[in-house]
Amino acid sequence: MINKKLALGLISSIFLLAGSVSAGDSVSAKDCSYGGKVKSIEATGDLEVTFTMCKPDPAFRAKAAFTPFSIQPKEYLDSTGGGGSILENPIGTGPWKLEKWNRGDSIIYTRFDDYWGKKPSFEKLVVRWAADGAGRLIELRSGTVDQITNLSPDDFDSVKGDSDLTFIPVANPNTLYLAMTSTFKPFDDPRVRKAIALGIDRSRIVDNYFPLGSEVASHFTPCSIANGCAGDSWYDFDPDAAKALLAEAGFPDGFKSKIYYRDVFRGYLPEPGIVAVEFQSQLRDNLGIDVEVVVMESGEFIDESTNGRLDGFYLLGWGADYPHVTNFLDFHFSASNPQYGDVHEDIYGLLEVASTIANEDTARPLYTAANNAIKRIVPMVPIAHGASASAALNTVQNAHFRPFGAPLFHHTDPGKDTFVFMQNAEPISMYCADETDGESLSVCQQVVEPLLGYAIDSGNIESRLATDCTGNSDATVWTCQIRSGVKFHDGSSLDANDVVASWAAGIDQSNKNHKGNTGAFEYYSYLFDGLMN
Amino acid sequence: MITYIIKRLLISIPVLFGILLVTFVLARLIPGDPCKAILGEKATVEVCEKFEKRFGLDQPIHTQFFLYSKRVVVADFGNSIRFSRPVSQILVERFPVTIELALGGLVVAIFAGVFLGIISALKHNTSVDVGTMVLANVGISMPVFWLGLMLAYLFGLLLKDTIFWLPPSGRLTAGLSSIPFFEVWGWEVLKGTSKSKFLEFFANHYIFNALITGNWEIFKDAIRHMILPVIALSTIPMAIIARITRSSLLEVLGRDYIRTAKAKGVKSKNVVSKHALRNAMLPVVTILGLQMGGLLSGAVLTETVFGLSGVGRMLVEAIYARDYPIIQAFTVMIAVAYMFINLLVDISYGFLDPRVRLE
Amino acid sequence: MSKLGKVSKNLSENIDEELLLQKPVSVWKRTIKRLLSKRSGKIGLLLICFIFIIAIAAPVIAPYDPHEVLIGKEIVKLKKREAPCIHVFGCDQAKPQHLMGIDGNYRDQFSRIIYGSRISLSIGFSTVSFAVIGGVLLGALAAFFGGWIDNIIMRMMDVILGFPSLLLAIAIVAVLGPGIRNALLAIAIVTLPAYARLTRASVLTVKELDYVKASLALGASPTRLLLFRILPNSLTPIVVLATLGIATAILDAAGLSFLGLGAQPPSPEWGTMLGSERNQVFSAPHLVFFPGIAIMITVLAFNLFGDGLRDALDPRLND
Repeated sequence: MINKKLALGLISSIFLLAGSVSAGDSVSAKDCSYGGKVKSIEATGDLEVTFTMCKPDPAFRAKAAFTPFSIQPKEYLDSTGGGGSILENPIGTGPWKLEKWNRGDSIIYTRFDDYWGKKPSFEKLVVRWAADGAGRLIELRSGTVDQITNLSPDDFDSVKGDSDLTFIPVANPNTLYLAMTSTFKPFDDPRVRKAIALGIDRSRIVDNYFPLGSEVASHFTPCSIANGCAGDSWYDFDPDAAKALLAEAGFPDGFKSKIYYRDVFRGYLPEPGIVAVEFQSQLRDNLGIDVEVVVMESGEFIDESTNGRLDGFYLLGWGADYPHVTNFLDFHFSASNPQYGDVHEDIYGLLEVASTIANEDTARPLYTAANNAIKRIVPMVPIAHGASASAALNTVQNAHFRPFGAPLFHHTDPGKDTFVFMQNAEPISMYCADETDGESLSVCQQVVEPLLGYAIDSGNIESRLATDCTGNSDATVWTCQIRSGVKFHDGSSLDANDVVASWAAGIDQSNKNHKGNTGAFEYYSYLFDGLMN
Repeated sequence: MITYIIKRLLISIPVLFGILLVTFVLARLIPGDPCKAILGEKATVEVCEKFEKRFGLDQPIHTQFFLYSKRVVVADFGNSIRFSRPVSQILVERFPVTIELALGGLVVAIFAGVFLGIISALKHNTSVDVGTMVLANVGISMPVFWLGLMLAYLFGLLLKDTIFWLPPSGRLTAGLSSIPFFEVWGWEVLKGTSKSKFLEFFANHYIFNALITGNWEIFKDAIRHMILPVIALSTIPMAIIARITRSSLLEVLGRDYIRTAKAKGVKSKNVVSKHALRNAMLPVVTILGLQMGGLLSGAVLTETVFGLSGVGRMLVEAIYARDYPIIQAFTVMIAVAYMFINLLVDISYGFLDPRVRLE
Repeated sequence: MSKLGKVSKNLSENIDEELLLQKPVSVWKRTIKRLLSKRSGKIGLLLICFIFIIAIAAPVIAPYDPHEVLIGKEIVKLKKREAPCIHVFGCDQAKPQHLMGIDGNYRDQFSRIIYGSRISLSIGFSTVSFAVIGGVLLGALAAFFGGWIDNIIMRMMDVILGFPSLLLAIAIVAVLGPGIRNALLAIAIVTLPAYARLTRASVLTVKELDYVKASLALGASPTRLLLFRILPNSLTPIVVLATLGIATAILDAAGLSFLGLGAQPPSPEWGTMLGSERNQVFSAPHLVFFPGIAIMITVLAFNLFGDGLRDALDPRLND
């Protein structure tokens, strides 16, 4: 006699089981009123994840290739609660397993033999750091490291002429700008801002303080990005007009102010202190503006500047995260960004509409108008697009530096068992989702992988953990097919639930694993217009 | 003797309290808000409220100080705001570098300084004496960071392809890592416990660790990396010790009891080593404590020049980043170490000079 | 006359003769004479005069303005951080002469080093003045009043001395904010205790002397006594310490500036110049070498002079 209850129980559990395999985890916002782009992320199959957006997001694939959106095992996220040991011991699918993080000294990785892709040809990867360019070059020359980042501009020529070294130009688009916070006098007067725009000799700065290959910025966004250079070019240097305009605004003899910066080497600003002093000289000699040079600690500087609290000029820039104009313009000139003081609807209105248009040509007139508005309003003065370079020993085959993302070391061959890479600074943590500094992102990228990735020599998007992500006609629904047979470093298999869990830990504030390092998950927030719930 | 030691210990207590108070006040006085400094644009009011609760910054100031003092006594320094890790763990990782550097500097300074001082005194008024004293004068006038940079240039670049080349930065060559002795010996150590921190603290002294595990490769490598920083750091104390040794020994050699010994027929060598030196060393021991302070100060500059991640450099960075727990903990530890050393010096002085004990 | 009387008469005659033979010489004259006889004192004094002359005559000696950026102003295009070009040593006559090369902002380093001497000297003197005035005041108060005032003041001094000097200076500057004025204040505070202790010891000793006790017993005002009798007699070790203190102050200020906490750009302070170019030590060592040498020579000058002064003023060497 079949026990009816037992049978029902069995059948329903079979259905539940099947259900939990095919209708997997998901995370969703209550509704789209929270202002962000993501409505829900669902595991719609064992190896399929569907992203439903509140607003069209044509740049989704470019964003999904970015490191903070890497995937870790769901069980691991649950067991660590998204914090604690996950910060220094990520588990991923990447070609490298983390062996040890020697604090203050180095990070050591070993080859992951079950990697789904091209396995590394060597056994150990070591990442070290040194704050100054000259020190890094010395270590490279003495053979104690195999590749370094951020070559000092003064050393470009000597590396090019050195037969033992390979000079590797880095094609990452970047911009340096001189910012002013218009909520502080006298920057509230557009004539003052325009006078400053006219009064800076940008060519002199690029010629004398930037390495060969750098350009004066004609627009905020580099021209290598589609629609970046739509619209009129920036003002030419005209000191007489500048002085006249400044006098008209009521400052014939200039005024006193400050120029803030942080002493951190970036591709857009290789020598911050020197360049700050150069601005000081130019402002004084061309416009009679007397500025005090103030150096701030990096974290504090970023905070104060991005919140529009710096009462003077400040030097900052931007290196592209992904190859799309929204990465430059939308971040800086959106309605919610207070870094330049007042926000201007003339600019952000156009950008908001343009970001929903997938076709470049269709969007062009909007970006033209937006760039022209930026030129007219002068919230900041774009200065330069810096050429930066990396260097490696000649013995390293296929030494490279991607324009987007950190080098893919498993594609190189140092001809020996260990490859040593030296960057600027020690990472803050190895949990990519909650970090923004390049030094942390480059380090976790070796261990974890996102759904998509950037090509080794261009901005093209390639498959990684997802064989592809396709969008519907208006870019409001994106479906990603997960690669099968991928293993994590702890032996477990990758499935859609891991993807959902990883994204949820970052984007869903109510998620139990939403902990991280500082809990800010900046890139989830800013690339998708906010965290849900 | 015991009373003397007890007396010195008792005097240290109010000084320790003063150090704690000063550190606490200074860290609080630094302008800027740690929440905003760390969290950046995410620092809304609600987030900061949570942040302040998490780090105990919302309590009244005297409660904070009381809690702080209580925790310091049990060596619980809380978590670093910037790194979200226990400060004691960061201390365990960073202090050994500074200790190796400072101890190395002290040892070199003492041996070289005393040696030079003795030679100068014995060869009083000859060219050796004059030459050494000129060098000593130049030595105390050199900025330590400049000397470090010049040494790095000389040994790191100019002598690059010679056997004299020395690494200009770091503690070990890339790819080499020091394996803690307790791992080598197969001890069971749970990560994160006090016992592990205690053992790690010793294991992070790479030179000592390599010595007791017999790892000559690491031992040689670590010492090579320490040579330049130690030379740079030890120069000023070495010069000071040389001068004081010389003048002290000269003074003692001129004293009556020395002349008596010589008249008695005691050999010159014995006169110096048995009778004169011991008394001549007293002023040297006196200034040793002071020199240690100079060494710790100089360590900040040396660590910056040679890229060593020690306590000094971390402290400067923490001050910039308003990381209160680190600022307080590191300053207290350095001051306590300094106080302890001075205490040792005072006590040893009591051994050497019986008159002091009777004060 | 008795025999005793005869002896004493002879004695007094002899003494009178001796006193007549020895002309009275002022302390200062004797000090200067002794100072100049020793080699270190002589060299120190010479160097100090040399540095002072350079500082005073800076506008005349320096070929360029220390803040002048030379982009586009020279006939031959300059390279950033160019090595020194000295015509006498073979540098091409067509190239403009820069004795110590060009720095990272295209300014002539020689001129900046020259003007930097002004800053270093003023740093040295102002810091020490601060520290001496403060320290002497505190030490004298402590010694004169004794009791709990003495205790509090001396404990405060102990606390300051409980920290390694540079670290405390860094912490103070961190609170006050970077800048040359705050750096000076920080260094003054950190070096104060030495003067306080010295003054206190001196005053304590002198306080016990008979003439002071007698004056007090006779009703002399303690303040006047302190200012006009006791302190001047304690001056000697303070003067020596102060001279050596100028050397330490210049070194400490350079250290703070090197870390970015002292003099700020575009100030041509030697420590700042070193600090901003330290990353270029391997490619442009002249930008690190010359400021360092300048610091060393200045500090050496004051050290030598201080040493000479100490030996000259040492009462034990009185003949």
